Amino acid sequence: MKEILKVSEISKTFRLSSKQQKIEKTDRKTKTAVEKLSFSAYEGEIFGLLGPNGAGKTTTLRMLATLIRPDEGDAVIDGVSVMKQPEEVRKKIGFLTSELKLEDFFTPDFLFDFFSDLHKVPDEIRLKRKDELFEKFGIDKFAQVKVANLSTGMKQKVSLVVSLVHDPDIIIFDEPTNGLDVITAKVVTDFLLELKSRGKTVIVSTHIFSLIEKICDRVGIIIDGKMAVCDDLKKITEEKSLEDVFFDLYFERKGDEI
Amino acid sequence: MKNGTLIIFKKELARFFGDRRLLFTTVIMPGLLIFVMYSIMGNAMTSMLDTSDEACKIAAVNMPSAIESIFPKENYEFTEIDGSELDDAKEKLSEKEYDLCMVFPENFEKSLTDYQPGQNADSVPNVEIYYYSASISSSNAYSSARDILDGVEQQISNVFNINFAESAEDMAKYDVATEAEASGTFLAMILPMLLMMLMYSSCAALAPESIAGEKERGTIATLLITPVPRNQIILGKILALSVMALLGGLSSFLGTFLSMPALLGDVDDAVGGLSGEYYMFTDYVWLIVIILVTVMFFVTIISVLSTLAKSVKEASTLVMPLMIVVMVASFASMYASNAKEEIYWYFIPIYNSIQSMIGIFSFSIAPVNMAAAIMSNIAFTLIGLVVLTKLFGSEKVMFSK
Repeated sequence: MKEILKVSEISKTFRLSSKQQKIEKTDRKTKTAVEKLSFSAYEGEIFGLLGPNGAGKTTTLRMLATLIRPDEGDAVIDGVSVMKQPEEVRKKIGFLTSELKLEDFFTPDFLFDFFSDLHKVPDEIRLKRKDELFEKFGIDKFAQVKVANLSTGMKQKVSLVVSLVHDPDIIIFDEPTNGLDVITAKVVTDFLLELKSRGKTVIVSTHIFSLIEKICDRVGIIIDGKMAVCDDLKKITEEKSLEDVFFDLYFERKGDEI
Repeated sequence: MKNGTLIIFKKELARFFGDRRLLFTTVIMPGLLIFVMYSIMGNAMTSMLDTSDEACKIAAVNMPSAIESIFPKENYEFTEIDGSELDDAKEKLSEKEYDLCMVFPENFEKSLTDYQPGQNADSVPNVEIYYYSASISSSNAYSSARDILDGVEQQISNVFNINFAESAEDMAKYDVATEAEASGTFLAMILPMLLMMLMYSSCAALAPESIAGEKERGTIATLLITPVPRNQIILGKILALSVMALLGGLSSFLGTFLSMPALLGDVDDAVGGLSGEYYMFTDYVWLIVIILVTVMFFVTIISVLSTLAKSVKEASTLVMPLMIVVMVASFASMYASNAKEEIYWYFIPIYNSIQSMIGIFSFSIAPVNMAAAIMSNIAFTLIGLVVLTKLFGSEKVMFSK
């Protein structure tokens, strides 16, 4: 199997404002969100990052998506470094997170074309891809309705489709099913499996055990910005369920703080 | 393949022209509002000054007939009263039954004919005019009656004339400025200030929404994960914003210019017709270039402030101090009839645009200074673009919550 993503000891530290210091009950001016995190993902697999809220999952994915830069370390995606050539990385990946919003004023149809242009997708491919994706997610019914007038689920579908206009080989999803109704969530998880079957590599972050168990080939458990364990899902769950593995690790590391 | 700048530029314009409400509030409304407001103001002012409709009612004591005949009959209506009725008449001023009460000394005419040049001020007769300053018609009547009586006084003691002329055309010969220069001086006083303020407010109405707004709503991050280089995104936005700001500015300018006749009716006569006919083609080219580079500079600097802001509201607050700078610089230059000659003034942004416009309107352009102003604006815009690119690359700025 080809190693398509290699993360080597990336770290990210944020400065805390005085308000955040109070919330965190600390006098320290900085917070290490991710500390020397390393893992790899292989071509054609779904890799899951599992961890509680605030563990550093989103920060890690944002570093991979080149929205923020690691303070230390590097990640190489399909041979391109996020530190050295972020623009090249952006061509190779599709990134979806709830923080990325679409402009209310435009229609899904316009936005698909707009982002296709930004990704320099040739016109004929764009039209074909648009038809396919719009049909799959049922967007064709509201393709000419402004985003402002769409429901949360519809918006999520449009965001998903827009993040895939350039048919990237590596897809990074932050909490892919968060805030979705059960039907839409099922459409999305099925789609992730379909992407995998087409040879794409998918990286997802989540705190939902069942999602990992359902779709992931390999999993990395992050606690407090550090990788607690990273292995094949099958190996990890040989003796215990994923949930038990997670809580054992969690109490091992944070038991005294609870 | 299409260039990122062009794609962003087109999207911004699609947003702008597709949104009827935005288009109305930023382009159509400012011009319309200014036109309507200034026209109403102008008409109100004219009608305030215009009292010819109704004759002034004057209660007079000891009014000599020779003096009364000097007051035009159609404008002044005299009621002869006795000295004992004066207090009663004064009461009636506040009730607006009378506009003025005039009290002439007894034997007024005789004391005029007996007048000797150099006579002691205490011994000359005193005409008392009572008026009611809370009423506009009374105040106006007071000043016009004073003017007429002053004229009478001057005729009596006429020792010399100043600019004596039979007619208005005859009078004009004393002003050696050409009509063009007179018109130019006036335009140079008022237009640079108006243009600067309209351009700035037009930019300030648009840029915060396009940059801080996208940041606030989280739509800018969606752009930032595309492979389009940051500087192309910025350039596309700046160019689109400049086009929109120019449209907004143009609308405000048209509104102002079209309402000028109503607003400045009297001034218009004074300078012998306000018009742009004296300006050459090159003057207009200079003006357009100056306006273009100024708008680009404004858009860029407001974009920098908007990028630093976390929300549209914060951005709107941040652009206010600069508005004050623009206003102060504009007002400070209002009464300079000619543009500054020293070239170093033309390197200071904002001020150089004002000075250049004064130069254009007052026919005192120095091409070297103009070129310096244009270059300086372009240079500062480029610096602004570099700063913007840096800011767009900074995660602290772009993703601060």
